[in-house]
Amino acid sequence: VNDLTLILLVAAVTFGSRVVFLARRRSVPEGIVGRFLEVFPLALFIVLATTGLTAPEGVLAVTPALGGAVGGVVGAIVTRRSLVGTILIGAAGYWLARVLAG
Amino acid sequence: VAVGVFGIAFGVLAVQAGLAAWLTVVASVVIVSGAAQFALVGLLAAGPGPVLVATTGLALRHLPMSAKLASLVGDHSLRTRVGLDSAWVSGTAVGAFVGKAIDPAALGIDVLFALLFLGLAAPLIRTRRDWLVVGVAVVCAALATLVLPEAWKITGAATVAAFIGTAIRE
Repeated sequence: VNDLTLILLVAAVTFGSRVVFLARRRSVPEGIVGRFLEVFPLALFIVLATTGLTAPEGVLAVTPALGGAVGGVVGAIVTRRSLVGTILIGAAGYWLARVLAG
Repeated sequence: VAVGVFGIAFGVLAVQAGLAAWLTVVASVVIVSGAAQFALVGLLAAGPGPVLVATTGLALRHLPMSAKLASLVGDHSLRTRVGLDSAWVSGTAVGAFVGKAIDPAALGIDVLFALLFLGLAAPLIRTRRDWLVVGVAVVCAALATLVLPEAWKITGAATVAAFIGTAIRE
């Protein structure tokens, strides 16, 4: 599968879900399926963030990225879970750790 | 403006991840979903299987929200949507062409990318169960790094964490 085909497949999945939403806008999955769909995005984003910040080279390691992780968590708390605040304070933590690590 | 800025960020990160500049713009035109596009770029190296599993999970989250959003679909939201989409696509185009000139190591692009996902997760944390899901996801991510094959470690860890989160009562 080349990159263009992959992009078109992702587009099909994304638009497919929107079409289902428009066609059956009052039908809400309940029970286990509904709860799974509710928590999956949060789990995916946290796993992507954790992997990138704790194992940037594919294995767990102590790097300045951990400073970014600490900064990001502090930023999320201080700015009341703001996306921009999390990124900016996380980046500041990363740069501080990078300077301290030489 | 904010959507345009995130479009630029997506463009920069996508070309840094190895996606051609023109394909990066195509992605913003045809997918039009920030979360799915950032996940696509984050999992690009893992291959099509993990990308499709993750983006399907992200896309299907629209279903639980459908009842709440139903009353908001109308002419006004369509106009707003066109404006947001234009900002998103034009921002992506700028980022895709500027991104080639950026040294990823100098700026710590990988770390900023990971922080972006942390930033996307932050507004989703609303209840005690969400905090538990965060804790489970961190543990699953660490364990997946040790035991799962490279291609499936992210999608696999997220799926297991979501299943455990599903079992947690509010």
